[in-house]
Amino acid sequence: MKRRSFLTHALVAGSALTFGAGCIRKIEPAQTNERQADNPGNSPLSGASITEPARQIPILAETDVLVVGGGPAGVAAAIAASRAGAETYLVERYNHLGGLWTGGLVLPLLSTHAVDKNQQTKQVIHGLGGEMAKRLADMGMAIHEINPVVDPEAAKYVLDEMIRDAGVKMLYHTWGANVIMEGNELKGVFIESKSGRMAVLAKVVIDCTGDGDIFHWAGEQYDEMKYHIGLVHRLGNVDRIDKTKSGYVKMDIGGETPIQSVNWVNMHGEDNQDGVDMLNLSRLQMDYRRQVWENVQKIRQTPGHEEVFLLDTASQLGVRMSRIVDAEYKLTLEDTMTFRNFDDVIGISGAWTTMLYKGKKVRKRERPYWQIPLRSLIPKKTENLLVAGRCFSFERELVEDTRIIGTCLITGHGAGAAAGLAVRERQAVRNLDISKLRKLLVEQNVWLG
Amino acid sequence: MVRLGEIFKRLRFRQVSALLALLLALPLGWKELTGFYAWLSPFILLNSIFGLKSVVFLNLAGLVVLVFVIVKKRWFCRKLCPVGLACDWASSFNSGKKNRIKKIPSIGKWLAIFSLAGAILGFPVFAVLDPTAIFNGFFGAFSHSSSLVVIISLAGFPVLLLIHLFVPGIWCTKLCPLGGLQDEVYRIKEFMVTQMKGDRKTASVSFGGRRLFLASGFGLVSGLFIPKLLKGETKPYFRPPGSVPKKYFDFLCVRCGSCIKTCPSSILIHHKDAEDAVSWMIPEISFEKGYCLEDCNLCSQVCPSGAITLFDTEAKGMLKIGLAEILPQNCLLTQNKECDRCKVACKYNAIKIDIHGPYDALPVINHDKCNGCGACFVICPAEAVRMKHLSSEL
Repeated sequence: MKRRSFLTHALVAGSALTFGAGCIRKIEPAQTNERQADNPGNSPLSGASITEPARQIPILAETDVLVVGGGPAGVAAAIAASRAGAETYLVERYNHLGGLWTGGLVLPLLSTHAVDKNQQTKQVIHGLGGEMAKRLADMGMAIHEINPVVDPEAAKYVLDEMIRDAGVKMLYHTWGANVIMEGNELKGVFIESKSGRMAVLAKVVIDCTGDGDIFHWAGEQYDEMKYHIGLVHRLGNVDRIDKTKSGYVKMDIGGETPIQSVNWVNMHGEDNQDGVDMLNLSRLQMDYRRQVWENVQKIRQTPGHEEVFLLDTASQLGVRMSRIVDAEYKLTLEDTMTFRNFDDVIGISGAWTTMLYKGKKVRKRERPYWQIPLRSLIPKKTENLLVAGRCFSFERELVEDTRIIGTCLITGHGAGAAAGLAVRERQAVRNLDISKLRKLLVEQNVWLG
Repeated sequence: MVRLGEIFKRLRFRQVSALLALLLALPLGWKELTGFYAWLSPFILLNSIFGLKSVVFLNLAGLVVLVFVIVKKRWFCRKLCPVGLACDWASSFNSGKKNRIKKIPSIGKWLAIFSLAGAILGFPVFAVLDPTAIFNGFFGAFSHSSSLVVIISLAGFPVLLLIHLFVPGIWCTKLCPLGGLQDEVYRIKEFMVTQMKGDRKTASVSFGGRRLFLASGFGLVSGLFIPKLLKGETKPYFRPPGSVPKKYFDFLCVRCGSCIKTCPSSILIHHKDAEDAVSWMIPEISFEKGYCLEDCNLCSQVCPSGAITLFDTEAKGMLKIGLAEILPQNCLLTQNKECDRCKVACKYNAIKIDIHGPYDALPVINHDKCNGCGACFVICPAEAVRMKHLSSEL
């Protein structure tokens, strides 16, 4: 190639390239100065404080397993541990078991079913959850086969009976107040009641407080989620509504319960609420009770609804989420959508909401069942502690499926069985022989896939 | 060593290239590269540059090819073109009738000039005839259920092969606008080189001429008028984020189907509107199966024609596809049911649940933040969300 022709080529090529490189376009984000205004909060604390004098605390008991919180998770945990042969104490702050399921009037046992690998809908909640559902159904105190709605008083009775039969030592009207630690080792829990402050020492403690009070005191890492808080109530005499009366308008009177004349009415409530802020809870309680009352009055004033009355409001606020522990494994949305198998599976749970997964819609009736590993119940740092109920370890995207009764029953059962086995084998829960745990769970009728 | 050399000699560049093109086109997971061969086409490149008067980063690949094409005659055809290889192969079944095509004038270069002239005014008429686009369109059409439009998209490549069974060699030598463009570019370069040398006597090539003038003139005129003639009453449709305005989009898009193939949520489908033939086969967003992912810009990465402008995923919030709208009469919250799926699904914090009381709540969409990704539409269990077209589309 001659020099001139080479130069010509180079010139043409060069000009083409510079033309190209000169005006590259790409859409890039604008610099935004928008800053999220921090929630100022409403802490009335003045900043002043006072020292509580040190004192001797009587030890109520030295036990194998201590379960704090008597909601669905706590009841399942206590019964499972006791049936596995461990001496078990159960601490509950109110006068009934079942927590939000019964006293909180969140009556549907979600989600008992999900889709298996052959696209067939099947029951996944077995074990203690299945036992409770069956006993209630046999009593005529549960309606619907899938996601049954139960009668709260019947459920309280059944749970009491099951706890009694299992030989669990029940501590009602008692509040877990603080942890007893030796380094990273959890030795027990201080409890508070009308009898004053006491200590219960235990080989394994199961945190079923829902808000994760125990792991919070133990200094674990966790995610704090603010979510909707509501107050559920029940209406009586809904069977006496006269639809033929002139001026009748259809009102929202909630969903049916096993008692024909009684409906339960859910409340979504305000979003972004702190569920562990006592002052916030006090405000919401007052506001909600007034709103429930006014709402029922509005219904009673509607022609045809004169006989309807407010039967009761829930004994506790419907705190949907608060703390989520960072455990050895954090369950992901991916896990629940792909039939992810875990060696240390402690149970399988169902699903009740439509979800987005990888940009696609997965309808609730297409949702696969999902396994829960023991590791998602074991906090990273503290020894002798298990977490069950809505505060076990999962991604926030999963919250609708993890905070509900069925999942609480499953995690509770798994944690209780693991604690019972750890005591029997004299091992740390972290080092449990997984095959033995699996055998025990299967013996206790848990379905592991 | 001699062996290796032999093998290397026998190893034809174009065969390897065609194999590579096939691998990239098949759904094997290289989503970012699925439209790479269309990027290499100087014809799409020039149409895009003339049409948009700007380039994107990947255009550099096409520019490099353009340089080779300027230096070596029909370099793309001889070294890279997978369609050319396939056409030659189809022709080999009927090699006896090669003389048939001698009488046919080479239309390709006029198609190319016509297109490029039209592109200057925003209407690259025959850009859809680019062989790489036809090749990609064939593979892109597999990803979805069939409709007439998908069949057309699917048919392009097989039809080319079929023609070659009867008239061997016709596409590459006579019809292909990419081939024609290469001839023309090479001719212009030869012309310039002889001009620069000042050696007018040996100049065997000339530049200009009545035909060129007519072709480019018609191209310009068509660029001006055809879009207006074809624009009837057309229904608006949702286009991928970062798309150029609709009036350019319809024409700039070469229908290669790369974006449709690459979309991870499979929400891009071939547009089909019986009354709007101009925008057939164009990527349209359908929110039936999913929504436009917040952390994805694959369609803009693979678009060779610049119809979808490359964008940063961080910028996605301001690239509006449409707008979501709440239909209160369907919303579960008006029935005192518990739901906040739309709010949770929204990745741009555009949805707030407006609570007036525990039994009086409704989601409210901030239309400044909403980019119409469709997540709320997809997740809504009660069909209480509607996707609305942008007012600029109507």
